[in-house]
Amino acid sequence: MSVLSQLNMIQVKGLTKQVSTVEGNLTILSDIDFTVKSGESVAIVGASGSGKSTLLSLLAGLDIASKGEVHLDGESLQKMDEEARAQLRAEKVGFVFQSFMLVQSLTALENVMLPAELAGDKGAKNQATELLEKVGLSHRLTHYPSQLSGGEQQRVAIARAFVGKPKILFADEPSANLDSKNGHLIERLLFDLNKENGTTLVLVTHDEQLAQQCDRIIHIEAGKLEVIKQGAAVNVV
Amino acid sequence: MWFKLALTLFSREFRRGELTIILAAIALAVLTVFSLSSITERIRLNLEQKSADFIAADRRLSSNHDFDDRVLTTAREFGLNTAKQVYFDSMLFANDELILGALKAVTETYPLRGKLTLRDSLNGENYQVQAAPKKGNVWLSEGLFYSLGLNIGDVVEIGAGQFTVSKVLISEPDAPFFSLAGNKRVLINYDDIAVTKAIQPGSRVFYRLLFSGSEQQLGEYYTWLKPQLKSNQSWQGIKDRQSPLGENLARSESFLLLAGLFGIMLAAVAMAVSAKRYCERQYDPVAMMKTLGGSRKTIRRIYLLHLSLVTFFSVVVGLAIGYGLQSVGAAYLINFMDTALPEAGFRPWLLSIAVGVVCAMMFSLKPLLDLFDIPPLRVLRRNLGDTIAISRIHMALSVLTIFGLMWLFSRDIKITAILFGATLLLMAVLYVISRLLFSAGRKLGLSPGSSWSLAIATLQKRANANAVQLISFALAIKLMLFLVVLKNDMISDWQMQVPEDAPNAFFINIMEQEIQPMQSKLDESGIKHEHFYPVFLGRVNALNGEEFARRVSLQEGEEKDEDAREGVGRELNLTWLDELPAGNEVVDGEWFDDSDALQVSVAQGLAERVGIKVGDTLSFLINSQTIEAKVTSLRSVNWGSLKPNFVMIFNDKIAGQFPVTYFTAAKLEIADTKVISQFLKAYPTISMIDIQSQLKQAQSMISQVSLAISFVLSIVLISGSLVLISQVQASLAERMQEIVILRTLGAKGRLIKLATLYEFLLLGGLAGLVAAVVSDIALFVIQVQTFDVDGRLHPYIWLLGPATGATFVAVIGYFMVANTMKQNTQGLLRKLA
Repeated sequence: MSVLSQLNMIQVKGLTKQVSTVEGNLTILSDIDFTVKSGESVAIVGASGSGKSTLLSLLAGLDIASKGEVHLDGESLQKMDEEARAQLRAEKVGFVFQSFMLVQSLTALENVMLPAELAGDKGAKNQATELLEKVGLSHRLTHYPSQLSGGEQQRVAIARAFVGKPKILFADEPSANLDSKNGHLIERLLFDLNKENGTTLVLVTHDEQLAQQCDRIIHIEAGKLEVIKQGAAVNVV
Repeated sequence: MWFKLALTLFSREFRRGELTIILAAIALAVLTVFSLSSITERIRLNLEQKSADFIAADRRLSSNHDFDDRVLTTAREFGLNTAKQVYFDSMLFANDELILGALKAVTETYPLRGKLTLRDSLNGENYQVQAAPKKGNVWLSEGLFYSLGLNIGDVVEIGAGQFTVSKVLISEPDAPFFSLAGNKRVLINYDDIAVTKAIQPGSRVFYRLLFSGSEQQLGEYYTWLKPQLKSNQSWQGIKDRQSPLGENLARSESFLLLAGLFGIMLAAVAMAVSAKRYCERQYDPVAMMKTLGGSRKTIRRIYLLHLSLVTFFSVVVGLAIGYGLQSVGAAYLINFMDTALPEAGFRPWLLSIAVGVVCAMMFSLKPLLDLFDIPPLRVLRRNLGDTIAISRIHMALSVLTIFGLMWLFSRDIKITAILFGATLLLMAVLYVISRLLFSAGRKLGLSPGSSWSLAIATLQKRANANAVQLISFALAIKLMLFLVVLKNDMISDWQMQVPEDAPNAFFINIMEQEIQPMQSKLDESGIKHEHFYPVFLGRVNALNGEEFARRVSLQEGEEKDEDAREGVGRELNLTWLDELPAGNEVVDGEWFDDSDALQVSVAQGLAERVGIKVGDTLSFLINSQTIEAKVTSLRSVNWGSLKPNFVMIFNDKIAGQFPVTYFTAAKLEIADTKVISQFLKAYPTISMIDIQSQLKQAQSMISQVSLAISFVLSIVLISGSLVLISQVQASLAERMQEIVILRTLGAKGRLIKLATLYEFLLLGGLAGLVAAVVSDIALFVIQVQTFDVDGRLHPYIWLLGPATGATFVAVIGYFMVANTMKQNTQGLLRKLA
C-alpha cells in the first residue's frame, strides 16, 4: 500500500452509475473523480435528484458502479462481492441516516452494540454505554426507539456509528428529519465525535450551512461533479 | 455472538406480538391434527376391538367338518391363543318337557375376545365374564328355563348326558345379532360333547376354531394355513363396519377428518400471510444489519433460528392443547360407548409434529429467501425489495404444501382432490369476480366524499391485494358453510334412521295363528308396530349351479356387512314380501313381476362381493330341500337403520312351501311392559328382543357427535378469524397512511369509520356469496361420492353465506382497524415514520 493511498482514505475514479428503465439507460452519475484524505470531512451537496445519495451508496459499497472505481482505505470495492463489502463495512465504516434506521425491537444500548455484535466483538457493551453517555443518553439505555424522541433516536444512531471506531463515517442528511434545535445538537455531536476519533467524514446534505462546517464541499449537479471547494471549517483554521 | 443477538431479537419480536399469528396458526394446525387424528384413531381401534368381540376372536376358521389337530397345534406354535367350538342341535329334557336346543360346546379358553353376560339366578343381576362352563355344567338362555320349568341347580338331560344347570346365559359375544334360535341357546363344555352322544354320522354339526394374537402372528399363521384350506373351510377376519353404530361412527370419522382438513387449510393461509408480513417487517432491520457489516450467513442463521424457535414453541403449545382436548373428547366418548378407548399410539404425535414443521418451513421459505436477499441499499432507497403481491413461487409452494398435508392427513386422495378442486375453482371464480367488481365500481360514479364511494374507491385501489383477501375470506366462509351444512345434513340423516318412534323391541317366533291375537293386543293397547314378516332359515349354496362355499371361503378379511356374522355359507333369515321395504331401493333389475316363477331380490353389497347379477339363478337349501330362484333385482339396503333388513327377499310364490314363523317390531313405552309380559305369558313361544339400550346408544352418539362437530366448527372459526386478522394486519400500515391523509384533508372520523365498515361489509358479503355457491356445488359432489347419501342443494346457505360473510368480516376487520382510527394523526405519522 503506497503512502499516498494511506493518506487518501477514499479514492474515486471515473465513477459512473447507470440504471435501465423502459426508456433505455438512465445515467445517474457520470465520470466522477475525487479523493478524500484520512481524517478529512467532506460534504456532498446538490439538489434533490442530483445523484448525491447514489454517490454515497457507491462510496459505502451498498451498491456497485456501472463503471469506474472506488477505493476505501486502499481496497477496491469493485473487486469485492457483497459479503466482502459487508465485511469491509463492519471493520471500517459507520453510518448515520436521515431516518435513523434503528432496529425497533432492540433497546438503545442494544442498537448501539449491534455493529460490534455482528462483527463478533464481545466487549461492545462498555464501549456502547460510554458512547451513549457521550451523546447524553445514559438515562435511556433500556428504552426502545418508539419510546425516544426523534432527536434522541438520532443520537443513538450517532453512538452506533462510532461504536466500532470506524475509519470512515457516512452520514445521509443526519439532521433533515429534526427541528433546528435538535438538528444543531446532532450536527455538533457528529463533528465533535468525528474529531475526537479522527474519523474521515462524508456527509450528504442540501443544507449549505451544515456543508460549510466540513473541510471540503463537493457539488453534484445532474449526476456530474461541478465544483469542489474548501468549506468554512478550513477557512476558520 | 449471532446466537445471543438472534435470541434477543426473537424474544423482543415475540413480546411485541409480531409472531403471535404465525405461532397461533401453527399451533392451531398441530392441535387440530393431533386431537382429531388421535380421537379418530382411538375410535377406530375401539371398533376393531369391538368387531373382534363380535366373533369372540381376531380370526376364526369355520367348517362343517372337524379340523385336523395340526391346524390347532401349529397355531399354538405360532404363538396364537386358540379356542374350539362345536355347534349342533340336541333335544333337552326336564320336568317331562322336551325341547330342541341350539347347543354350543366350547373349550375353556372361550371366548378369546369379548365377554359373556350371565346371571346366577333368573332374577339376579347381569354380570360379564370371560369363561366357559365347567364339565358337567350347562348354561341356558332364559327362555329355556321357562319352557322346561327349570331353576338354577336343577338337572337337565341333553341327549344321553345329564347336566347341572348352573347359569342363566344372557348373551354371548359371537351369538347371531338376530337369530330365531336366540332364546334356545345352550352352552356346555367341549369335553362333554361325547357324553351327549348327540353327534352321530350325518348329524348337522358346525365346527369353529378361534384365534387371537398379534397381527403379525396371525398373518404368518395364515400364510402357513392358506395352502391347506379345504373348500368347506372358511377363514374369517374382522371388519369394523359391523353394526349400525360402527357404520355411523365410520361416517362421522370421515366428517371429522374433512373438518380437520379445513382447519389445516385455513391455518395454512393465515400462516402464509403472516409469515410474509413478518418477513416484510424485517426488511429494514436486515438491510441495516447488512449495512453495518452483517454477513449473509449471520442473517440466515438469525432468522432460521427464529423460524426453528417459532416452530418449536407452536408445536409444543399445539400438542399440549391438542392432548388436553382429545382427553376431554375421549372421556365424553367413553360415556356413551360404554367402554374405555385404547390409546392411539404414535401416529397422531408424528403426524401433528410433521404438520407443524412442514407448515412452518414451507410457508415461510419463500418470504425468508426474499428476506435474505434484501439489498443493504434499502437503507437509502426505502422501497427497495418491497413486493406488491405474494409471489408466484410462494403461492405455488403454499398450494402444493396444503395439498400434501391434506393428503397425508386424510389418506384419501378422492376427498383431498374434491376439496382441493373446489377450492381452486373458488379462487378462480373469486379472482374474476373481484376484477369485474373493482372495475365496475369505477363506473358507478358515486358522489365523492360519501362513505360508500370511499369504500369502493379503497377496494378498487387495492384491487390486487383485495383479490387475495377476498379469496382467503371466501375460503374461510366456504369452509364454515361446509361444516354447518354437513352437520345439519348428517344429523338429520341420522335422526331419520333413528327417529323418536323407532321400534325398540323385536318379537320373534310368532306362529301364523298367533298373528291375529297379537296384532289385536298391540292395536288395542295403542302400541305402534311394524308389519309381521314371515321368516324361515335357509342356506344359499350355489350360484348358477356352482357351489358357493368354494367361492368365498378363501377370502381373507373381506367380509361385508351382509354376512359379517354368519357368512353366506351359513343359514340366513329369509322372507317373502310383496312390497319393497322402506329404506331399500332397487338399483338393478325390477321388483317382482306377477309371474309364477320363484324370484329373489338380493342386497347389493352381497351381490357385488359374491358376483351375483340380475338374471342369475341361486340355489337355496331350506329344510333339507333345495329350491332355485331367479335373481330379478338388486337392492341397496340401509344397514345403518335399526329396522328389520333382509339380504334375500323372495316373492310370495314361496309362501306355503316351508313352515315359517313371523316377527315384528314395536315401539314400547314403559307403561306397555306389563301388558306385553302378560301377553307373552299366554304365548310362551314368542320371544322378545329388547334393543332399547342400542337405541339409546345410537341417539346419545348422535348428540355426542354433534358436540364433536361443534368443536371442530369452532376450530375452523378460530382459523378463519386468524386468516382475517393476518390479512387485515398485513394491510394495516397502508390503512394507517390513508387515514392520515384523509384526516389531514379534513375527513371526519365518522366518514372514515363508515367507509372502513362498508369496505369490509362489501368484501365479506361478496366473499360469502361466492363461497355459498361454490360450497354448495362441492357439497353435492362430496355427499354423493364420499358419504354415499343423496346429494341435495341447500338454498338457505345462499343467504347465510353473504350474511355471515359480511358480519364476520366486518366485525373482525372493523375492530382491528378501529384501534388505528382511535389514534391521533400525529401519533399515526410518527408510527409511519
